[in-house]
Amino acid sequence: MARDNIFAGLEIGTTKVCVVVAEARHDNTLKILGVGNAPSRGIRKGEIVDFETAKRCVHDAVVDAEERSDVEISEVYLGISGGHIRSFNNRGVVVLEEGREEIDEQDLEDVRTNAREVSLPMEDCVLHTIIQHYYVDGQDGVLNPLGLFGKKLEADFHIVYGIRTRIQNAIRCVKELELETADVVINSFATAQAVLDKNYKQLGALVIDIGGGTTDFVVYVEGAVKQSGVISVGGDHITNDLSIGLKIPSARAEKLKIEEGDVTLGNSFPGETIVLRDETGFAGREIERETLNQIIHCRVREIFEIVQRQVEGDQNLNYLGAGVFVTGGSSQLRGIEHLASEVFGMPARTTAPLPLAGVTSAFEHPQFSTAIGLVRYAHLVHLDRPMTRGILSRTMKRLSGIFRT
Amino acid sequence: MVQLNSQYGREENPSESRKVRVIGVGGAGSNILDRAMLDGIDRVELATANTDVQSLTGSVTNQKIQLGRNLTRGLGSGGDPELGLAAAEESRDEIQAAIAGYDIIFVCAGLGGGTGSGAAPFIAKLAKDAGALVLALVTMPFTFEGRRRCAQAAASLQLIREHADAVICFENDRMAELTLPRMGIHEAFAAADVTISQSIRAVANLLLQPGLIRLGFDDICAVIREGDARALFGFGDAEGENRAHDALVKALRNPLMNRGEMLASAVNVIVQIRGAANVTLGEIGNVMEELNRHISDRTQLMMGIAIDSSMGSRLSVSIISSLGGNPERSVKAGYLALQEPEQFEPAPTATMVVPEPEIRLIDEPSANGQKAVASPILVEALRSKEPLNLESGEDAGSKKEVVQAGKSASKAPPKKIEAKQEVLQFDAVSRGRFEKSEPTIIDGQDLDVPAFLRRRVNVN
Repeated sequence: MARDNIFAGLEIGTTKVCVVVAEARHDNTLKILGVGNAPSRGIRKGEIVDFETAKRCVHDAVVDAEERSDVEISEVYLGISGGHIRSFNNRGVVVLEEGREEIDEQDLEDVRTNAREVSLPMEDCVLHTIIQHYYVDGQDGVLNPLGLFGKKLEADFHIVYGIRTRIQNAIRCVKELELETADVVINSFATAQAVLDKNYKQLGALVIDIGGGTTDFVVYVEGAVKQSGVISVGGDHITNDLSIGLKIPSARAEKLKIEEGDVTLGNSFPGETIVLRDETGFAGREIERETLNQIIHCRVREIFEIVQRQVEGDQNLNYLGAGVFVTGGSSQLRGIEHLASEVFGMPARTTAPLPLAGVTSAFEHPQFSTAIGLVRYAHLVHLDRPMTRGILSRTMKRLSGIFRT
Repeated sequence: MVQLNSQYGREENPSESRKVRVIGVGGAGSNILDRAMLDGIDRVELATANTDVQSLTGSVTNQKIQLGRNLTRGLGSGGDPELGLAAAEESRDEIQAAIAGYDIIFVCAGLGGGTGSGAAPFIAKLAKDAGALVLALVTMPFTFEGRRRCAQAAASLQLIREHADAVICFENDRMAELTLPRMGIHEAFAAADVTISQSIRAVANLLLQPGLIRLGFDDICAVIREGDARALFGFGDAEGENRAHDALVKALRNPLMNRGEMLASAVNVIVQIRGAANVTLGEIGNVMEELNRHISDRTQLMMGIAIDSSMGSRLSVSIISSLGGNPERSVKAGYLALQEPEQFEPAPTATMVVPEPEIRLIDEPSANGQKAVASPILVEALRSKEPLNLESGEDAGSKKEVVQAGKSASKAPPKKIEAKQEVLQFDAVSRGRFEKSEPTIIDGQDLDVPAFLRRRVNVN
């Protein structure tokens, strides 16, 4: 990329590989230049299981994006998902040495390092250290401690980590296509940037991105990431359930899910059936609509309940003013927002990425939330750069850390 | 007939030695007992435990325990389970005195409020610690009572499940669904109380009544534990020419049964037929055959027959089951049982009832395996208490003949074999396309296995 105000986000998903190219304009808004897409193969549950095949898919998507946007991509923000990704909250503490009372950038850096100093398993590496709150001398509600006077600086961080080798796989896939990885971002965090505005983050929101192979979620409370997680269950599981339960091939089950699937129980007439047609259009078996919906309902409810259990462990749900946002490809199932609202006991909606300028109308679609979120994330980092100069070097440090084996 | 009498003489002993105590906890608990008392319940001793003195004095039971004499000073617990628990803890000695020496203890409570939710798990725990078999019968609040009460009830139910051997849970919502919306709230609650008191009586009868084909506490445990504690219960009695049919229809008309539709999804069903010595094989056959129409192929029926001379010309049918059982488990259990069919209970000799043990011979082994799976200790305990049962195995010789005669009997076994094959097939393909991928295991569940299979939802 010739100009440093053009960003590309790459999501290697279980169903599709998606590349979004966007340009930051002078008024600090983002314009989408083009979106490249390729169906993915060699990827299961959000992780690469067949490297060469996956690489070809990524290549196709990148070429597609380059053609559509007329930009040569040299660097991407890479979305990461997978069941190995874990997170926790930790507090870092820095005490200023005698004779110095003003908090400077080095202290901010130190408090972050301090929070990260926890013993992780050998094979793991930290992906994100996201600031939640600062405290200066025990005083709450400090938005930016830089330049404040104080003796002790504390800060809460949300720390996301995953297994190093698995993250490396995705990075290597990009590297072999002669692309640089500007940063790796967990999908849930990227998705939140696409579907939540500042106001929602401040009010508190739970974003659930149900993709093909994984469900990524993140909780925002008072503008900060409170919790995040990945469950390796997604739309593929719904298809698989249907395939087993109705004894039909996977491809047929996928089609049935998209065309007829509904998560609402008791929404069909008793005995209402769907006729399955084969490729030639001949009527084949009949399937009861309620059975279909029941299988889907069980799986989706379970996904929500697992998210609820993981989130409720921290008693966060009481603070979510903006409610639940369901997005991702599988959020297009009919009635899913009602089920989410029932399980979580708060308002829920299905949502596509917030509108952006450019050729977006075709991509204001839940399944592009993560990819568009990646460029939004890149944009935020870009806007932040003058303030936190360290972020790029930190990124480089982290990447080199990932590669150091 | 001489033999018949001696038979009863022998049967009475173990049941007499088994003392049963029913404790109603909290306001709803004592309402249920009042209802049971009004309907008449014998061979069972009732006690009420409550924090609210006013409600306690209004209760008609013989023994009353005031919880938290100093803590609440005779007032209620104000919907606070912690207060209910503290009150029960204060009265620990009195509760222990009330449960000492009983073999089987029923704990009845309405969950959601303070005393019921707080004290019932504690009382269940004390009873368990005292070495009794504990069966809890609880009601869950109506949804319109608010999320908080529902949450309290759910938390309490969880605690009770830890301590009690079995829990029968009645959802008020489900009972109300099937009564008319314009019915008064008082009537709706009363209807719930009636159903529960009927079930107490039915369970007590099951346990205490000498039966030709006896069902024990272990059978009930097996049936109730199988599911997710949403109980199905139906009771009906009738007299006259067509009494078998009428009693069954009445039982199925019970609100929890939804005219037998709910039975279709049950895995294990206990049915007990009670009547005086004039019950005929034809009547039993009729009941079982009709019941068979309501249950699915995979369902296992456990049948009990009790002869009670006080029934006169009446015949009653009780059906107990629970929703959401796992068909796989029960079938496997049945398979295990085929290898050790050793426990046979009654040895009836009256001409009229001779064929029935054979029905049992076919039906019972699976029930037996259930026990082995659900509570091996329990089985041991009961076996040692009923040594006389083993001798009836000799009747096996006449088995063939009866299979031809008793229609209901010949129907049951092939069904079970069918179910077994189907389930095994399911097992083999259950992870589908994720067969070769890394398993996703959260909270001990393999999430690659279809959710509807793990949640035991019957989709066909």
